[in-house]
Order: sequence, then C-alpha cells, then structure tokens
Amino acid sequence: MSQRSERRGIHVDQSELLCKKGCGYYGNAAWQGLCSKCWREEYQRARQKQIQEDWELAEKLQREEDAAYASSHGSQSQPSLTAFSKFEEKKTNEKTRKVTTVKKFFSPSSRSTTKKEKERDEEREKERERERGEKVQGRRESHGETLLRDLKGIFTHSWEIGSPTEESHEAKSHSPSFVHQSSVETDQVSREFVDFLKSLKPGREIHKQSRAFVESMGNKKDLGADELSECVQDFYQNMSDRLLTHFKGSSEKVERVMDQVEKYIMTRLYKSVFCPETTDDEKKDLTTQHRIRALHWVTIQMLCVPVDEEIPEAADSVVKAITDIIEMDSKRVPRDKLACITSCSKHIFNAIKVTKKEPASADDFLPTLIYIVLKANPPRLQSNIQYITRFCNPSRLMSGEDGYYFTNLCCAVAFIEKLDAHSLNLSVEDFERHMCGGGGGDVSPRRRSESLSPWPLELLSALQERQQQVLEEARDLQAELQRWQEGVAREVQDILDKYPLEIKRHAAHAIDSENDENDRLPPPLQPQVFAG
Amino acid sequence: MTAMRVDAKVVMLGKESVGKTSLVERYVHHRFLVGPYQNTIGAAFVAKSINVGDKVITLGIWDTAGSERYEAMSRIYYRGARAAIVCYDLTDNSSFQRARFWVKELQTFEEHCKIYLCGTKNDLVEGDRSARQVDFHDVQDFVEEIGAQHIETSSKTGNNVDALFMKVAEDFSNSAFELLPEEKGVNLDPKKNSYLYTCCHH
Ligand SMILES: Nc1nc2c(ncn2[C@@H]2O[C@H](COP(=O)(O)OP(=O)(O)O)[C@@H](O)[C@H]2O)c(=O)[nH]1
Ligand SMILES: [Mg+2]
Repeated sequence: MSQRSERRGIHVDQSELLCKKGCGYYGNAAWQGLCSKCWREEYQRARQKQIQEDWELAEKLQREEDAAYASSHGSQSQPSLTAFSKFEEKKTNEKTRKVTTVKKFFSPSSRSTTKKEKERDEEREKERERERGEKVQGRRESHGETLLRDLKGIFTHSWEIGSPTEESHEAKSHSPSFVHQSSVETDQVSREFVDFLKSLKPGREIHKQSRAFVESMGNKKDLGADELSECVQDFYQNMSDRLLTHFKGSSEKVERVMDQVEKYIMTRLYKSVFCPETTDDEKKDLTTQHRIRALHWVTIQMLCVPVDEEIPEAADSVVKAITDIIEMDSKRVPRDKLACITSCSKHIFNAIKVTKKEPASADDFLPTLIYIVLKANPPRLQSNIQYITRFCNPSRLMSGEDGYYFTNLCCAVAFIEKLDAHSLNLSVEDFERHMCGGGGGDVSPRRRSESLSPWPLELLSALQERQQQVLEEARDLQAELQRWQEGVAREVQDILDKYPLEIKRHAAHAIDSENDENDRLPPPLQPQVFAG
Repeated sequence: MTAMRVDAKVVMLGKESVGKTSLVERYVHHRFLVGPYQNTIGAAFVAKSINVGDKVITLGIWDTAGSERYEAMSRIYYRGARAAIVCYDLTDNSSFQRARFWVKELQTFEEHCKIYLCGTKNDLVEGDRSARQVDFHDVQDFVEEIGAQHIETSSKTGNNVDALFMKVAEDFSNSAFELLPEEKGVNLDPKKNSYLYTCCHH
C-alpha cells in the first residue's frame, strides 16, 4: 500500500481506518483492511478450509481404492475399515508433527506435545475442534509472525539442503511442508492411477497386482537394498511381459502403462526404500557432500568448461541447470528424478551453445555437467543415483536419452571422487595446497564468496547468524509497528476530541503541515516499510 | 520427457578429434560441418530409426568425451552397449593405439558388445597416400584376430557412413532374434545393474 493512500485515510474518514469487520479495532491495508485479530481469524478459516478439503479428498480416494480392492477380492467392506483407521492414524501423526515443528521454533520449551500425542486416536471431529480452540486461546499471531514463519520456512529449507550432517533424519520427515505435500501427493497419484487404468481393459487387474505388490513390500522391510531392487525389477519384468502379451507386442503401449505402474508403486514405496538403513548410502552422501565442499576452489577454467557466465543467457541456463539438479531430490518417482537430470542437461547444452555459437558435443557436455554438480552440491546425490539405479524401469535407464544423461551424471560423480592434480592439469603441490585450504601460489584462488560450493561451513554459520538477526529485527519491527499503530490511533483520537467540529476539508494536505502547530505528533512516518 | 523407445545402445569411442561427432552428425543430419557451425543445438545423444528388412530398429547413439581425463570413466559409458564404434584417425597412428586400448576394455568388461573399428577421415588419405599412418591390412588382421568388424569412412564425403550404421543395425537385428529368450534387452540382473554405478568407485 502506498504511503499516500494511508495518509489520506487518516484525514478523510475515520471509518476507513477501522477494521472492516467492525470490531472497533483499527484495520490495516496489509491485512486487507482488517485488524490483526480478525485477519488472523480469516486466515485461519481459509487454511482450515483447505485442510478440510484435503482431508475429504484423501478419504474419498481411500474409500474408492478400498472399494476397488475389496470388490476385486470379492470380499465385503470389512478390510476397508482397518485400512481406513490405519490411514487416519497416519494422517493424525503427520498433523501432530507439523504443529510441533512450527511451535518448536517459536517457543522451544513453552509447550509439550505429549498431551496431543495421547489424544492421537480421538475421532477426527473432536480433534479439529480442539485445534481450533487452541488457536483462539493461543497468543495472537499477527501478520509479522506469519511472515516470520514463512521466512523461517525458507531458511530451514536451504539449511537442510546445505547441512545434512545434523538432523538429516529429521529433515527427511519433519519438514512441515514436505509431510503435508507428500501425503497429498500420494493420494493424487493413486487417483491418477485409477483414472488412467479405467480406460484399460486389464486396468482392474493391473491395479490389484500393483496394490498387492506394494503391500507385500511392506513385509519385506528387513531385506537389503539389492533384494528390494530385485523384487521391484522382477515385478516390472512380470508385469511388462504380461502386458506385452495383452497388447500383442506393442512395446509403446506397454511402456506407457509401465510408466504409470512405476509412478504408483514408487510413490508409495519411496519412504521405505529411499536411502534405506541397510545401506551405506547416507554415508556416501556425506562423503560426496564433503568432497564437493573441499573442492570449492575449482574454477571453470581448470575444468575447461566452454561456458561464459558473463553472457546473461548462459548464466541463466547455468542457474536453471543447478536448480534442476537440486530439484531431483524432491521427486519420488525414479522417472521424475531422471527427468530432472535430463532437464538439467538441456540447460547445459543451451549454455554451451550460447557461449560457443556452435553445437555442443560430448566433449563439452561432461566437463560442464561436472562443473554444475560441483556448483550445486545436490542434496543426497549418491542416494538419488542409487535409488534410480535400483528402482527405475531398466529399459529407460539403459539405452534411451534419459539413460544417457544419467550415465553422464554417474561419470561426473566418479570424476569428482577421483579428481586429482592430473585431472585439473595442476602440479601436485598446487593441488595439495588448495585441498588444505591454503590456496595461494600462482593459481589465484577464488574469493570465498565466489567459490564453487555454495555452502561451505563458514557460509552456513554466517547464514545462521544472519537468519537469527533477521528474525530478531523482524520481531522488533513488529513491536514497533504495534506501538506506532497505537500511537497514531491515540493522536488521532486526541485531535478528534480536541477539535470535534473543526475538521476542514482543506486539510487534505499532509500531516506534516500540522506538525508545526503540534510538536507532539510523531515525525513523518514511512509506512511503506511495513506494508510490504 | 523424451518418449522415443530405443532398441539398442551404440556407443562411440575414440581419442579426441578422431571424428566421432562428425560421424554421427553426417549419419543423422547428412552433413559435414566445417568452420562456423550452423545455429543448432548439438546433441551428444541421438536416437535414429532404421529399416532392417521388415523391421524398424531404433539405435540410441551415445557420443562420448574423448579426453584422457575421462578415460577412467569410459567403462560407465559403454556399460550395456550392444555395439561400440571405436574410431581412429587414419592420419594419426597414436589414435589407433588408443583404439586398441578400448577394444581390450570392451572385450574384458562387455562381452555382449559388438565392436566396429572405424578408420575415419578416409578422404584425407585418398588424395594423398603419404598421409596415411594406419595400414588397412594391419587393422584387418587385428580385427580378424579379435572377431570384430572393420570399416574406413569419411564424414566429409559421406563415404561408407550409412553402410557402417546399417551394418550395426543389421547385426543387432539378427542377434536380437537369437538372444530373445534370455536377453530381451530389458531383463537386467539387478546385481549387474548396480555395477553400472559401483564401478565408479574403483
Ligand atoms: N577431412 C576430414 N575431416 C574430418 C572428418 N571427420 C572429422 N573431421 C574433422 O576432424 C575434427 C574433429 O572432429 P570431431 O568430430 O569433432 O572429433 P571428435 O572429437 O572425435 O568428436 C574436426 O575439425 C572435423 O572437421 C573427415 O571425415 N574428413
Ligand atoms: Mg566429439
């Protein structure tokens, strides 16, 4: 909101200042003309509605699926009940976790959640009521706080990416947005799967088998990663063999169905088979992460990367490539992860093309991909590569275009692991010096801020400090805003009391002019600082 | 998302600048690029369909980085390939020595991969016999010994380029028939499969 309109509001009509709900408090343009309290209630209502809708969709889906499952089994509605309550419990779990995380940040010790946990299996209606009650009795959360939370969300996210050393397990499940998204995503995928299969004659059979397979995998949690992979690959193989017979050899059709099967199965299995505890995937992730950090001094020249980041379009493509490769970690379906790698690669090709003004070849591509991986330090890189290798439909992985880019990524990682003085055309001494953090020598080291790895430890702790600072300042700002609001309200009221009949329309110019007569008015204010 | 289904993986191997990229470019786009290139996005991967008899075979052609820096990684590239076109420059003997290295690697690690030794830049030695550094018959003896195929091509004139890829497709088509029961191209032993990545570590 602009400075001017608020000022005019002060002078022209008092009613415009008040909360649109008519509660008697003053409203604020940033809260759509409501006071902080009403705004919050409005906001909560919208949110509540959203949650409610998600719920209904999830329940409906579950019912549909159970019905489909039950009918295909020829049994009555009995299994749907147990499945539903299990689902309910899971959902509640996730909700509890979500609330906890948000709270933990604001008041680390103020409230315990055990009480909530005990009430876990209370029926849903009650739970919702309780939540609502809690929100009302809880202290007023203002716009500033909402902002704070959003900020925190942003920071937490990159923090988790940058530092899996701490809380990497927590990061996996406790990030509120992730948990919420994942359950919605699963439901969405189930629905799409059912929709897709409706048009196919063997659709019911495919659904039944896929579902049964997912359930059977639930009992195999103790298996090693290779065995799990074998199970999934066997399932793919059997399914596609049968489909091949059904579609009379049309491998395109088979592939299309198999893509959907993969999506459905892997979305559901993801949590239990991604980076399983039976493997050392996580250790490898850390090793690679550290290795990439240690190589922060590697320059684009040392790698002979044919990309000039001075050219805006090339720089833009580099950023997009980095974004894509980082995004891979957020996907659940192997094929979607592959798609991130492919998209990253396309951006790399563009960056090279723009720089060289000629078609890029494999000789240009691999070094650039290595550079992008060093620069992005993608989260859980090894786990992702392993996951794709184990659970992707192999025909796609082995010969197609996606497979080509994936193989290059494997090469890039292998190169980074083995990288030595020789691979960069450096002398052994120079290389050692760089690795020991010394830098120096005739190969001029890059400044910290320019280094390849975007999150060296120093940067991370500096970032944490700054985050803390931002949060504190935001709190101060919020308090100040509150004081200012009350101050202005008081002043206005004073003036109105003093000169009840003498408000003149010609006073439409700025409040500053009246300052001469009344020193007690605050200095000119700049509300645009707060209004954003 | 690319939907093109690929039947066989064909990997291009060979020292830097022997003409791998030119060979693919000539085959796929029927052109030879010199000097300032046209404004096309180059591709390191191309899928190309060929009619073999009454069947259509789609080859996925994998170009690779030839620099010695990445030599240790080449094994990751040719993993699962059904054919390898190992290129050497007819005017550069050292490139043939490197080609021999790859042949050995392939024989050791990728027994199902058919090997095609390809002498490139045929046009350069045709006009000037003294430019030739690799003797045709020497190579012929070598490939007979190892049971591989041999051809000399020119991407500049297009000489033998189509013939090379046609041969690759035909051989694949024939072998795919023989191998059908056990080797559908899809059936990957997951343990072997994970080798794709494990080999990166050693
Ligand atoms: N005269 C001639 N030059 C060629 C031929 N093939 C490639 N070249 C040239 O050799 C150089 C390297 O070719 P390129 O395809 O980039 O080799 P790559 O590094 O193996 O991919 C380029 O300058 C090409 O123009 C050919 O058949 N005849
Ligand atoms: Mg090339």
